[in-house]
Amino acid sequence: MAAIRELCKSLVQPILAVMIGLLTGAIVIAAVGESVIGTYQEMWKGAFGSFYFFTSTLARATPIMLIALGLALAFRAGVFNLGAEGQMVLGAISATLVAIYLPAPGIVKMLAGLMVGIAVGGLWSLLAGFMEARFRIPLLISTLLFNYIAVLFASYLVTEPFQDRTGSAALAQTLMLDKSAWLPKLFSGMSVHAGFFFAIAAALLLFWVIRFTPFGYEVKMLGQNPLFARYGGINQIKVMLTGMFASGGLAGLAGTVEVFGSHYRFVDGALTVPNFAWTGMMATLLANSHPIGIVFTSILLAAFQTGAMGVERNTEVPLELASVIQAVLILFISAKFSYDWWKKRKAKGGESHGAA
Amino acid sequence: MELLDWSLISSTIRMVTPILLAALGGALCARVGIFNVGLEGLVLVGAFSAIVGNHFTGSLFLAILFAALVCVLFSLLFAYMTIGLRANEIVVGVAINFLALGLTTFALRAIFGVKGAFYDKEMAGLPKLDIPVIKDIPVLGDIFSGHSPLVYLAFIAAIVLYLFFYRTVTGFRVLAVGLSPVAARSLGLKVTGLQVLAITMCGILCGVAGAQLSLGQVTMFTEGMTAGRGFIALVAMMMGQSHPLGILASSFLFGLMDALSIRLQGLSLPTQFTSMLPYVLTIIAMFFVKEKSQAGGRGQSSR
Repeated sequence: MAAIRELCKSLVQPILAVMIGLLTGAIVIAAVGESVIGTYQEMWKGAFGSFYFFTSTLARATPIMLIALGLALAFRAGVFNLGAEGQMVLGAISATLVAIYLPAPGIVKMLAGLMVGIAVGGLWSLLAGFMEARFRIPLLISTLLFNYIAVLFASYLVTEPFQDRTGSAALAQTLMLDKSAWLPKLFSGMSVHAGFFFAIAAALLLFWVIRFTPFGYEVKMLGQNPLFARYGGINQIKVMLTGMFASGGLAGLAGTVEVFGSHYRFVDGALTVPNFAWTGMMATLLANSHPIGIVFTSILLAAFQTGAMGVERNTEVPLELASVIQAVLILFISAKFSYDWWKKRKAKGGESHGAA
Repeated sequence: MELLDWSLISSTIRMVTPILLAALGGALCARVGIFNVGLEGLVLVGAFSAIVGNHFTGSLFLAILFAALVCVLFSLLFAYMTIGLRANEIVVGVAINFLALGLTTFALRAIFGVKGAFYDKEMAGLPKLDIPVIKDIPVLGDIFSGHSPLVYLAFIAAIVLYLFFYRTVTGFRVLAVGLSPVAARSLGLKVTGLQVLAITMCGILCGVAGAQLSLGQVTMFTEGMTAGRGFIALVAMMMGQSHPLGILASSFLFGLMDALSIRLQGLSLPTQFTSMLPYVLTIIAMFFVKEKSQAGGRGQSSR
């Protein structure tokens, strides 16, 4: 019962924020001189208008959700991992190469690919965590820098050694995966694939970890009060490193399922252009790092994006309508969240204004 | 083609300018205890509004002024959210980046009716300034002369900011706010006012950085043309430990690597590796620059 109430509470703010976001969107649409209602109708159709579009939205939500879940764990531990993009790309390219070149039956290829995707994403993220723990190189910097390195390295791999040279056009992409290694689609002809189940399973698993395991308690304690956690004998570095590995691993998985379930090959830029990583971060922040809330916020953000694609197909309004709405949404939610927090703080005594 | 010659330094100076300006802006924010991830978005807004200003006024000076003004408006939004409503600064910064990308693309369509990029061959870019005596000296002339005025402004800004921090009363107060807001407030300093002042100045610097990007290096605007420069500025700021002269050095390193990577492309090295160079070198450099990680540590602890 308490869990349901908590869930509802974590949903009230996003819904309010969505309203404000849509309102701002309406102003922007009107500024371009298009019909607000017509545009939103197109948006709705593009996201949920038919079963096909609905499944596209779910497919789009899959990597966002996985990344968001990973970040949620890190954020809860007070670890700011800004490197989801690099972890996702590096995991995906490693997984793809393993699945292409491993001489094994399809199902083994697929499983090996998924494992490698998680492992590589996790280790890449762990490296940044290790550098923080051992050499005091701030995570904020290292994870940000690692993004560029990972994305450029993957781009090198698919333009030079592992480029698909079978076609006439030399595109920056790997060979096509063996059909037997593809993640199955949930409905034939629709874009949502088995990766969506992984994302849901990950959400439930994370919910369980946070709520019912000692590790989850340690994470919570560390995130809320590091001093108390240290006093309580929690190994801060161990929790930080575990958080980094888990968030990187989930980001790696996100990239891997996107490749295995949608593209079937690693295409340069296919994972970075849709901005999955930053959208995932927004989904986490919107849901206030609540795993079940993330399922909904990810689908919501994905719906804005697929909806905006529909808008772009059928009207003159550009795709970036989604960016504007998302940004306003996140601005509003962050302010609302901390406004509450401030009120509580004020009620407690109202001293120490400047202490952040 | 020679790998190292004096024109390399000259192109470095050009590359450095937007990064340096934005990093100085970031440093101002960091010095009052605010970690501004929104630099990328602010520079993008600056680049776009500079083109808009130039298009409608036809005056370069007004264009730069307009860019600075619009960026100040955006930074005031940032200030209101982070200080007024006490929202998490990283969250707001990320949102500002999205908002900037979305709004500039949108406005590109709404104002100019084009998609992707706006280019007008009638439009004048920033003039190249030839410095009277220096331009005739062989090597120095190649390096220091013939840049846009904003390039010189950036270097002057670094020095001015240094003097501001360490030679003026307001500068000392700003530093005090960053070191301990509570102590600063108990001394009767207007903490909020100083923070807003710093964020506003950051907006001006980012606006100018954007103007250099869209009017100095090229004379056009393309969607997302900052291409991560704001984040590089953020890293340069952290590497320079928010010290204006430190930032000058670290931005220079980035600019040099940027210029070098373009040069190296002639050597049939894969372009990805040459573009990777600045980031790898920064990470290596971080092993040697032991810092108290002022901004980094703060960012992490706040959720």
